Amino acid sequence: MDPFFYLVIYAGAIAGASCGLLGVYIVGMRMPFIGTCISHAAMAGTIWASVLGINPTAGALVASVATAVSLTAIKPGKTKLDTNVGLAILFSLMLGLTFLGMGLVTGSRSEVLSLLWGSILYVQKEKAIVITIFALILAVFVWLFNKEMKVLLFSRSMAQATGVHSGFVYCSFLGLCGIILAVNLPLIGGLMIFSLITNPAASAYQLCRGHRWVVIMSITLGVATTMIGFGISYFFDLPTGACIVIVSTMIFGAAVLYRRVINSRD
Amino acid sequence: MKAVSLKISQVQVAAGGRKILDVGELNIGSGEFIAITGTNGAGKSTLMKVCCGLIKPNQGSVVFNDIDIYKATGWRQSNLRKHIGYIPQSAEYNAELPFTVSEVVAMGPTASKPLLRRLNSNDRETIDYWIGQVGLSDRKKQTFRSLSGGQQQKVLIARAMATEPGVLMFDEPCSNLDFNWKYQITEMIDKLYQTNKMTVLMVCHEINLLPQSCNRVILLHDGKVVADGDKEKVINSQAIRDAYQCEMETVKIGGRDYIINKGI
Repeated sequence: MDPFFYLVIYAGAIAGASCGLLGVYIVGMRMPFIGTCISHAAMAGTIWASVLGINPTAGALVASVATAVSLTAIKPGKTKLDTNVGLAILFSLMLGLTFLGMGLVTGSRSEVLSLLWGSILYVQKEKAIVITIFALILAVFVWLFNKEMKVLLFSRSMAQATGVHSGFVYCSFLGLCGIILAVNLPLIGGLMIFSLITNPAASAYQLCRGHRWVVIMSITLGVATTMIGFGISYFFDLPTGACIVIVSTMIFGAAVLYRRVINSRD
Repeated sequence: MKAVSLKISQVQVAAGGRKILDVGELNIGSGEFIAITGTNGAGKSTLMKVCCGLIKPNQGSVVFNDIDIYKATGWRQSNLRKHIGYIPQSAEYNAELPFTVSEVVAMGPTASKPLLRRLNSNDRETIDYWIGQVGLSDRKKQTFRSLSGGQQQKVLIARAMATEPGVLMFDEPCSNLDFNWKYQITEMIDKLYQTNKMTVLMVCHEINLLPQSCNRVILLHDGKVVADGDKEKVINSQAIRDAYQCEMETVKIGGRDYIINKGI
């Protein structure tokens, strides 16, 4: 195996772990489409940064965080709008802004298009360090605010009514979510992010009893999915992203089957 | 726990260009057990949500122990809300997640803990105590989603009680339960009230489910309070006939009041 592949495996494992952890909350809060929505916000941010002549990464980060944090405007009981409908509206806006920006940009569009598919095989050491730092920040955040995040998962309105500091924690979580997705996008792409956020967490929710085990299982499955996907891709010379997505879906299918068999243990 | 008083003044909530709640003055004394009843769409749940700070009224005030919940901001409002034990309708919580019974009840003390502070051994004792009080000690490691609707309601009551609330607010606690569970849950609420003497607000459709301790009923119709007072008087009033638009008779069986519809 080429030495460069170790860095690819490491970056894949970190991306799998951080998406797995993020997925516990995103899937639990029933907004899995945030992955797709933020990836398109990052695309729009990147292309508009190119149009305006500023740093594309900064553009992607600002657009992602702003999109994620804007979801805090949807409040249970106050806004007659489901979070997923809000995400769909933001998604269409970001798609529109992306295409508008593409029409205006004069240089290469390959950087923008690569965000959709990612390019993990070309990962650089600096980018691997950045995603590691933000994965650690996410881990520390959910450890510090574990009790508040659990209440938010269970019921946002109950959290709000009973004085849990839900607004601050929810807003911080969404902001962090935007950053994590934006820094992982150039490596694993929008499509893989969507699958790595949704499938390991959804599988963990099928398999585990208790929040702690859901978190551990989702991170483990996120890492395992990328590793198995890499392995299949390497040994059978198949596209890496497609292998990871299909493996994560198969793991979810196996988790559903397992739960049906042992349902009484719940 | 210290019971809290509430004063609702000139509260109006509008939606879609229509007033869905229009309440003049409503005083809820500390330690009172009050049922809020009325037809579908009368504004019962809206009034409850206004009281617990979930729906900000277009005008008016909700005063908790001399502090207006909607004028208090940030951390002060958060501290005020810690006095509330809120048990919502099932659509407002995520029952499919694999939280254990202990984890759900532990969400109660979370409200009274500052950010970054973890639950301690005293909190764990409180959690176990309330799980025991609702008779679910043998199920505390089981998932919430695997319990029956009645057992889930008991867990939510334990969760609310673990916060040591000054006011307990129930939004139709017996909806979707079979008749036996309905009585078990109302008996439990009655017992909790008699033991702890906190203020209780309970949105309830079925008059026969109102516990013995409930001595005041507020009847809402089209967002307005049309009757407010002693339970016996309200359920025998002309206002209730007008609200439900039918002739009715109240009969007492086993100490409980039943309303019989005699036709439109």
